[in-house]
Amino acid sequence: MKNPLKKRLLRELVGDISKYIVIFILLVLSIGFVSGFLVAGESMIIAYDESFEKYSIEDGNFRTEDKLTESQKNRIENKGVTIYENFYVEKGLDNNTKLRIYANREEIDRVCVMEGRLPEELLEIGIDRMYADNNGLRIGDTLISDGKSYTIVGLVALSDYSALFYSNNDMMFDSSAFGVAVVSKSQFEEYGDSEIHYNYSWIYDNKPADDIEEKEISDELMEYIADKASLENFIPGYLNQSITFTGEDLGKDKAMMQVLLYIIIAIVAFVFGITINNTIHKEACVIGTLRASGYTIHELIRHYMAMPLIVTIIAAIIGNILGYTVFKNTCVAMYYGSYSLPTYVTVWSADAFLKTTIIPMLIMLVITYFILRKKLSLSPLKLIKRDLSGKRQKTAIPLSKGIRFFDRFRIRILIQNKSSYIILFVGLLFANMLLFFGMMLPPLLVHYQGIVTDTMLAKHTYLLQIPAGTIDSDNELSAAFSYTFLKSKINTNNTTAEKFTAVSLKTIGEHGARIEDVTLYGIRDNSRFINADFDDKTVLVSSAYADKYGLKKGDVVTLKEPYEDKYYGFKVTGTYDYDGGIAIFMSKKHLNEIMGFDEEFFSGFFSDTEITDIDEKYIGTVVDEESLTRVSRQLMISMGSMMYMVDGFSVILFIVLIYLLSKLIIERNVQSISMAKILGYSRMEIAKLYIVPTAIVVVASLLISYPILANVMVAIFRAMLKQMMSGWMVIWLDPSVYVKMFLMGVITYVIVAVLEYRKIGRIPMSEALKNVE
Amino acid sequence: MQLELQNIKKSYGEGGSRIEVLKDISLGIEKGEFVVLLGPSGSGKSTLLNIIGGIDNADSGKIIIREKSMSDMDEKALTAYRREHLGYIFQMYNLIPNLTVRENIEVGAYLSKNPLNIDEIIEVLGLKEHQNKLPSQLSGGQQQRCAIGRAIVKNPDILLCDEPTGALDYNTSKEILALIEEVNQKYGNTVIMVTHNDAIKNMADFVVKLRDGVIRKSYRNEEKQKAAELDW
Repeated sequence: MKNPLKKRLLRELVGDISKYIVIFILLVLSIGFVSGFLVAGESMIIAYDESFEKYSIEDGNFRTEDKLTESQKNRIENKGVTIYENFYVEKGLDNNTKLRIYANREEIDRVCVMEGRLPEELLEIGIDRMYADNNGLRIGDTLISDGKSYTIVGLVALSDYSALFYSNNDMMFDSSAFGVAVVSKSQFEEYGDSEIHYNYSWIYDNKPADDIEEKEISDELMEYIADKASLENFIPGYLNQSITFTGEDLGKDKAMMQVLLYIIIAIVAFVFGITINNTIHKEACVIGTLRASGYTIHELIRHYMAMPLIVTIIAAIIGNILGYTVFKNTCVAMYYGSYSLPTYVTVWSADAFLKTTIIPMLIMLVITYFILRKKLSLSPLKLIKRDLSGKRQKTAIPLSKGIRFFDRFRIRILIQNKSSYIILFVGLLFANMLLFFGMMLPPLLVHYQGIVTDTMLAKHTYLLQIPAGTIDSDNELSAAFSYTFLKSKINTNNTTAEKFTAVSLKTIGEHGARIEDVTLYGIRDNSRFINADFDDKTVLVSSAYADKYGLKKGDVVTLKEPYEDKYYGFKVTGTYDYDGGIAIFMSKKHLNEIMGFDEEFFSGFFSDTEITDIDEKYIGTVVDEESLTRVSRQLMISMGSMMYMVDGFSVILFIVLIYLLSKLIIERNVQSISMAKILGYSRMEIAKLYIVPTAIVVVASLLISYPILANVMVAIFRAMLKQMMSGWMVIWLDPSVYVKMFLMGVITYVIVAVLEYRKIGRIPMSEALKNVE
Repeated sequence: MQLELQNIKKSYGEGGSRIEVLKDISLGIEKGEFVVLLGPSGSGKSTLLNIIGGIDNADSGKIIIREKSMSDMDEKALTAYRREHLGYIFQMYNLIPNLTVRENIEVGAYLSKNPLNIDEIIEVLGLKEHQNKLPSQLSGGQQQRCAIGRAIVKNPDILLCDEPTGALDYNTSKEILALIEEVNQKYGNTVIMVTHNDAIKNMADFVVKLRDGVIRKSYRNEEKQKAAELDW
């Protein structure tokens, strides 16, 4: 005979449909959203990684003043590389943007056509897909430059420009103002020699094993090319931000999503815990009777596990389908909104499946099993008597008669349901955590935008590009000569300019931390820009550096030369109030001495006004308001859209949790409410008795949860940002978010309370007749 | 002897608030007997029934059922004992709300290797026209009939009834008692019924009167009354 209890399952589903819908939504959204994100990320990373071979991405490029002769080319190629012409012109357009136009590439850095076709005729152009998106351009539109009108015939992705950096020295790319494009060979031949930038890409005959070997080989190659031709620019592939930035950045969002996933898993576990507990409370008499009749614990465990398991499995299937379709497409669109990636193929992600589906299902199974096991092991008699807690309050807590009767009643309800209210508090804490996570990040980014511009070291900071060989040549005489020659080129008549030395070193990644760049500033005495007194031993770390790594006076920081086995130790003597970057400030003399530079050496200018009299080729990086907001703007673009998705998701989960938990409180009190009805209390009076205490608990829980969350989330944000980003974002929690969260919590509860009010009306008086002791 | 209780003691609470509910209870019950445990509230009759049913434990003493001691049984064996030999009827019916009358009876049948014919039971219980209704569509008496059906369908050796008429009116109570009487006669199960209703003792083969945890009186009825003849 089939177990007749199976016939209950469908009716159980229909009978408690709102609970199952809520759990179903929770699971579908969690599984769908996170798996969509992870699948999109993984597919994108694979598309990115495979693009190197698929599109023959270069190992590096260099630009010469003149076109290389065949013999120059041959000689360079003898150094173990194959060289390809990759010439370009740069055109300003009538829409105030700049395009770097290449002839279509066939051998190296091949082009991925995303839509339309490659240009074949004169005045046809294929433009970068993301640049087109950001400027509202479509196939068939025209672009005007130098009076010529180009027709857009294709939207493309250039494999060596997944991030559209105009210059490799830029801190961030700006895909609205700058783009890349291809034209036909015949069109490219139309451009005059004076316009063409003689850019060459190379591929190693034998690929270097790692970055260190690549640095050695490329350094050697650079010196060799510089010796044979007039070298304007030299970027080995591993340093080319246009190529590497995307790969490094793709992994960052994953860290954030994993934090979210852990919160979700905790919520899912919690929800399963309370729902199964609630089911046992509701069914205690039936369970007790069945146990008394001879049903075994395992028969009943199987029965009560069946429905949650079925709902979870269906939610997992639908969640995964949505994850691989709707949510994945949304996340992919997000990536395409940030990077100019080639086409991708959706990959099956075992990792995503494990984390989003298998783990929540296992959690559901384990939690449900253990709660059932524990509760069903109670004697049938206890179950029949609904005596599930094991402990019973023996004496009543005395309450003053001065307290109004209704208030005393409410206090009794609070005391009687304290375990349910503790659950409500914990649930609200989880829900708020998710909401906090979603709502705090955007203002944090905006605040960071403000901080970096407010705390700029100077209105204009110029980091000069000192040609290789000038400072680190083995031949000191030659180096000194080169530097003397260079000094005349890198001086300015700008009276507001102040020289400094800047050196970039790397952290050593202690305890598995991310390795990142630290800029060391050597500041002259009585600086007008850096407000600190420096003696020979002063080493001030920027406040951002101190905050990120918890540095304080007396600590020693160890840094190393990039790609060289040379280490430096600095004893921190204080902090300098600068949140814009990971930096160390010391006297120029001190820094030059440590680095082995001439006392007069400098490598940058702080200035109040723009410096116009230094040749652009000697200026590496310009840090001004525009360049700094570019960083935060791009951060907002790449992270912002995801944050809004997290926001929406959090709000839904928040509502779902409050609904589920409030429902639980009313369900636990069904008999008392029924009794109150029998006694003649009106629905409104009962609502005042049972809903008001819950409302008080909700409001108190919300208020108590904020300081707890602020501490927990700051710790989570810190860990997440440490893993995610180079540099540092000072963690700032927007006070207005608390107000918004509180209002949202209260409004959500009001809606739920209205539903509960209706529910109170539907509770039959016969409920009170069930036997309870 | 089908069931033998030897020196059963049971108390609740600790220290000063300790209450002795059963004080050295001993009795023997023959197969097929209709036994009534009679007593006022707090006399220990329900506790005794629950100990016989294996859903509560005695502090000391022995229960021997079909020559096996229950104190030697672990939780698994106790469940098997209940499954194979016992049927339970409570004052509250504790039917499964989302199963029909017939399905609720099937819940009992599932536990037995040789269940009685469900249609026949439904017929005997007078529930034929209600068999596809949910418990909420039935009156209290009909629900208790259904609960009796669930208990007897597995044809238990012993039917334990804890105040089965406690929540019912006079007429319905008499109907239910008649039904239990019929089941006892038809299927030959031993019936142990707890009640505080003195009149019910007259339909019993064996009456055990309890007060304050001790047996005040126990006797076998020479002249039984039919359930229908009872009056209170």
